[in-house]
Amino acid sequence: MLRKRRFLIGGITVFLAIGYLVFMGFQDSVTYYYTVSELMEQGSSIYDENVRVKGQVAPGSVEQEATGRILRFTIIDGEESLSVTYQGAVPDTFKVGAEVIVEGQFNSNGIFQAHTLMPKCPSRYVPQQ
Amino acid sequence: MANIGYIALLLALVASMYAAIVFVLGRRHPALIHSARNSLLAVCGLVSISVAVLLYALLTHNFQIEYVASHTSHDLSLAYLLSALWAGNDGSLLVWAWLLSIFAAVAVFRKRDIGGELVSYASSIVMVTQAFFLILLLSVSNPFQQLSFVPADGRGLNPLLENPAMILHPPLLLAGYVGFTIPFAFAIAALLTGKLSNEWLIAIRRWTLLAWLLLGVGNLIGAWWAYVVLGWGGYWGWDPIENAGLMPWLVATAFLHSIMMQRRRGMLKIWNMLLIILTFNLAIFGTFLTRSGILSSVHTFSESALGPFFLAFIGATLFGSLGLLYYRSKELKGEAEMESLVSRESTFLLNNLLLVGAAFVIFLGTVFPAIFEAVRGARISVGPPFFNQVSGPIFLALILLVGICTLIGWQRASIKKLIRNFLWPLGAALILVIVLLFLGVREWHALIAFPVCGFVFFTIFYKWFQETRTRQQMRAENYLKAFWGLVVTNRPRYGGYIVHIAIILIAIGVIGSSFYEVEKEAVLKPGESMTVKNYTLTYEGMNHYEAQSKSVVTATLSIYNYGELVGKLTPEKHFHWSYEQAVTEVAIRTTLREDLYVILIGWDEDNTTAFKVLVNPLVIWIWIGGGVFVLGGLIAFWPDSSVYAHPSGQ
Repeated sequence: MLRKRRFLIGGITVFLAIGYLVFMGFQDSVTYYYTVSELMEQGSSIYDENVRVKGQVAPGSVEQEATGRILRFTIIDGEESLSVTYQGAVPDTFKVGAEVIVEGQFNSNGIFQAHTLMPKCPSRYVPQQ
Repeated sequence: MANIGYIALLLALVASMYAAIVFVLGRRHPALIHSARNSLLAVCGLVSISVAVLLYALLTHNFQIEYVASHTSHDLSLAYLLSALWAGNDGSLLVWAWLLSIFAAVAVFRKRDIGGELVSYASSIVMVTQAFFLILLLSVSNPFQQLSFVPADGRGLNPLLENPAMILHPPLLLAGYVGFTIPFAFAIAALLTGKLSNEWLIAIRRWTLLAWLLLGVGNLIGAWWAYVVLGWGGYWGWDPIENAGLMPWLVATAFLHSIMMQRRRGMLKIWNMLLIILTFNLAIFGTFLTRSGILSSVHTFSESALGPFFLAFIGATLFGSLGLLYYRSKELKGEAEMESLVSRESTFLLNNLLLVGAAFVIFLGTVFPAIFEAVRGARISVGPPFFNQVSGPIFLALILLVGICTLIGWQRASIKKLIRNFLWPLGAALILVIVLLFLGVREWHALIAFPVCGFVFFTIFYKWFQETRTRQQMRAENYLKAFWGLVVTNRPRYGGYIVHIAIILIAIGVIGSSFYEVEKEAVLKPGESMTVKNYTLTYEGMNHYEAQSKSVVTATLSIYNYGELVGKLTPEKHFHWSYEQAVTEVAIRTTLREDLYVILIGWDEDNTTAFKVLVNPLVIWIWIGGGVFVLGGLIAFWPDSSVYAHPSGQ
């Protein structure tokens, strides 16, 4: 019986260790994901938290500074709009009207500082539109 | 024409249902079994006809068929016309059904004389699965759906898919998924017939190995494609679709190991059943995930009507098989007890726990956003940091386990013998730590991870050395001949060793490129240079040309390594006529040590061009490891001329 208990303890230890890893993983790496309107609803509580926001690139809002590659644009979701600045490689799929997900912080000055830009990729298995 | 394809599928459905029923009802009547077998063969023939019809439609540009119009165009080359067969949802489901019918035919005809009842029940289960996929194809996922008009040209293939890897990746994955149906069917057959000895295990060992190999290679090719084509500098994004292919593979790995436990010591019978049930359901789940929009993913596939069908199938299969397992659980008692915590059995058990744990963790991360949204209403996203942080340590522990397991004997191992076996590899690993410290490596991940990999390498080589020497002494052969003889007469075991080496190679590549990647962006005018690590890249200029289906912009950079000119790289952007987005073609310079990876980001009218350059260390070892993986798998798979009896001793 002692033998079996040793194995049981071992198994539970492994289980707990993995559980701990998962818990820490969720603590550190899970990001909230909002639409533009939802982000606005959060108000000041969301300032400087790393979040993801989804919206459509508004027509006429895209400005790209040639040097330094800073990209400024606005994303909308029907009602609200959000100003975004982003510095870095712009994926090929980014364009006016495209649905994008930006990840970064919403600053108290009302501008969203994005460090990651993810336009939706073309789907492979798409039923006929 | 399309109607022939559809009718063939309809007839196949009838034949598969007939076979499913008659295999069970007529199991004691040879004549009925014979007719069921013929029916199964007919299914294979009919689905093949269907596939041939679709292929013909693709090759002759029959754009009235919706599938052909959506995935091909007049200017598509032959290879991609053929591979369009699995480029889309409906086609790939057709390939699933086709592969299943072929595998079923092979399985049934190889087992002509072994254990009649077991094979009959297993065949029935396979036919039920076959029927499910045929029902899907005939209702919501019809590849022969026709348009009310004939378009002048098709929409063409997504240029991201125009790559040799994309010809291999889907069919390999599909074959892997499909392959797990056979072992699952035999497991359920064993539960149904009560023939719970090792008979079913022996029947399915090589099927499991084959499916596992195909799925593994399919995943690796997918990673390679992501690296070389998608051009973001990485090879694995922990996308739900990617995870869908990884989870069944991890559980299947656990299954392959625990089969050995059952065959050697009669242990873990219930666990084995659970594992194969889980593997099969994960494979179906993977097939389903790739087609439903239920999880937000970078590849956002739209919601389709397939979801409910798949969920119903998985639900029925899962609950049915688990219920059956519970019913038979008393008859599945183990024949031996776990004796010592320090034994090969323990390491196998731990290996299983870690592998299933890893699969579980990945599953959790993949579905958590959907669950969270359903429960809390807020949406969250779980990205690579979570998966890397959580699965990294688990995989490292698994690798360490490979080394420990290689040196530990079955049953109780004497501690003295253990320490003696460990001394050389451990010593070598410690020397490695010192060498790394000497080379200036200070990050603790590297100082732990690389020596662990080194340790495992050394344990395997040490083991080979020991066994070769024993054989050489026994037979007075030279070392080389002795080693070759060992490999040939112990194919499963040595194949396994080689596969383990492959995993270490892949691990080394992953560790190097994950922790030591260097990234830099720069904006250059022609003539200007940028420096990344020991490389200097000088922008020579931009060029532009037109090809058959696209317009191409190229930028040329001269590469200097430690001041010496080593070559040129030309990253490009392709603008396809039939496709709205630009496609970036990265330029990579690969050495054994690292990859220099250049992405062309954009340019202004005055030729000021933006580049992103990455230095990814050790990436090539992932692909080399992939090759070794295939080699090891093939060796393990190669049939013995003699019947697979006792695996040779310690």
